[in-house]
Amino acid sequence: MIIHQFLTSYSYGDAIGNEAFEIRNYLRENGIESEIFSLFYHPKYSNQIINYLEYDKFSHKDNIIIFHFSIGSPVTKKFLRMPDKKVIIYHNITPYNFFLDYHRVLAKDCYKGRVELKNFVNKIDLALGDSKYNEKELKEMGFKNTGILPLVMDFKKFDGKVDPVINELFNDGKNNLIFVGRVIPNKKIEDIIKIFFVYQKYFDENSRLFIVGEYRGFERYLSSLYSLKSKLEVKNVHFTGHVPENELISYFKLSNLYLHMSEHEGFCAPIPESYYLNIPVVAFNAGAVKETMNNGGVLINKKDFIQTAALLDHIIKDLHLRKKILKSQQESLKKYFKNKTGKILLDYVRNLT
Amino acid sequence: MSEIKDGCSEDFISTCKEINVEEIIDSIKKKIKEKKEIGILKQKDIDEINDMELLPLPDFLEIPNVYEPHLYPEHKMEDFEPFHLDLEKEAGIAKKILGKIRKMVYPLTRFMIRPFLNDLKNLEVELHNQNKEEIHRLKQLVPIVFQSKEYIKLLHNSMNNMIVELSKLKIEEELLKTKIKVMEDKVEFLENRERAVEKKLFKE
Repeated sequence: MIIHQFLTSYSYGDAIGNEAFEIRNYLRENGIESEIFSLFYHPKYSNQIINYLEYDKFSHKDNIIIFHFSIGSPVTKKFLRMPDKKVIIYHNITPYNFFLDYHRVLAKDCYKGRVELKNFVNKIDLALGDSKYNEKELKEMGFKNTGILPLVMDFKKFDGKVDPVINELFNDGKNNLIFVGRVIPNKKIEDIIKIFFVYQKYFDENSRLFIVGEYRGFERYLSSLYSLKSKLEVKNVHFTGHVPENELISYFKLSNLYLHMSEHEGFCAPIPESYYLNIPVVAFNAGAVKETMNNGGVLINKKDFIQTAALLDHIIKDLHLRKKILKSQQESLKKYFKNKTGKILLDYVRNLT
Repeated sequence: MSEIKDGCSEDFISTCKEINVEEIIDSIKKKIKEKKEIGILKQKDIDEINDMELLPLPDFLEIPNVYEPHLYPEHKMEDFEPFHLDLEKEAGIAKKILGKIRKMVYPLTRFMIRPFLNDLKNLEVELHNQNKEEIHRLKQLVPIVFQSKEYIKLLHNSMNNMIVELSKLKIEEELLKTKIKVMEDKVEFLENRERAVEKKLFKE
């Protein structure tokens, strides 16, 4: 059996790219030949990723190609023209209206993505969503053979070494809150800043907020966030930008709580990652977040800055509650171990052959 | 959004069965009440934060750089034709009666009005000549008017383009300011990092 994967873009630190990488490794570990084909990729990965236009050389009707779908792109046409058995993993598409004020091109691509997704109906062998939420959308669009494959993740990378310098810099007794993800409008980073402002002003002056994630391409959104930051006169908010793995681990390990206020998520990888690193998670109930939380952490059903700030203070200070939350998270995490998710994937593809 | 008065309800959060949500809610209420009683937390401040919205910088593409053509409608020559004055005339019985009276008094009126008639005729000739001169002068002015119209168009266009370019520059300036802030943060971070590295190295 040969299983290849199609991607629109592969970048380090991106959840979809990481999943493709983990799937490839898992398949290879199980004796299955597997490569990744992508439209965009950093030259650094040119030895690991192949340009999608070269797929004709690899194509065979007995092969299986898995397309990670999250945005409209020319890869869709190529994928549909191939004689191979076709599987899509739908990671959901952020509603275009989130980007209208900040990134017209991306808004257009997201809109196109939803139109393109309809083209897959009746043309593919299997449509997988990485959450029930995504699968439901697929069913509503008319896909018949659907299934759920939680994001294939390898948590071992979080056992790696921390960055000693980051540790030295920020390990100063302050309570740290963290958010991990791209600095884009649907993540509602303005809400995180507002909550942190209330938390810092009324509950803990000695606190810090890490916003760890790429902001390039969204400078206008970043600019608005900086204006908000200076308007509120909030201190100790750190936009770290894109960071290497060991720095990410350091930021995670330095943090007392993970806060997520996004209003659209197809899965949300930082939640299980925080579970693994024993950081209590407080997240807003939107998209697939509730499902990804899997009864772990604390889910906020209503956006209320003062109450959320009080909740954060309570979780950080009440060690007994913290322990209970961490215990619930450890239980919830079991669902996402690679041996389980990898097996689910293999079962799906074996049924196709 | 936030109301300090009643605090939060139980559906504000949800978590696993093992955790008592009521307890958490009580604690949140207590914390908010304490802050309120001390007088640190005021509804006004919270409302201010809730109402604070992000103000996105406009997109370059959203700024139109073509002056709207509807502001310069093309005028047709008919628009400048002189208007017609309809003289009021008698009709019916009044016309007949007045006609008869006029016939009777015609020799008298002809004798009395003759000088005025001559004056009127002379005035008509004079006005006609004046009109001719004015038309001639106006015809000379037409190309200048059209030229001025084009100049005004050009002026409007250049003003519009200047506003567009200034808006773009303002956006650019705001973006550069953010970039400077980001760079300042990074420099500060790198300086701290440098110190931390030195500290770490000297320790070892």
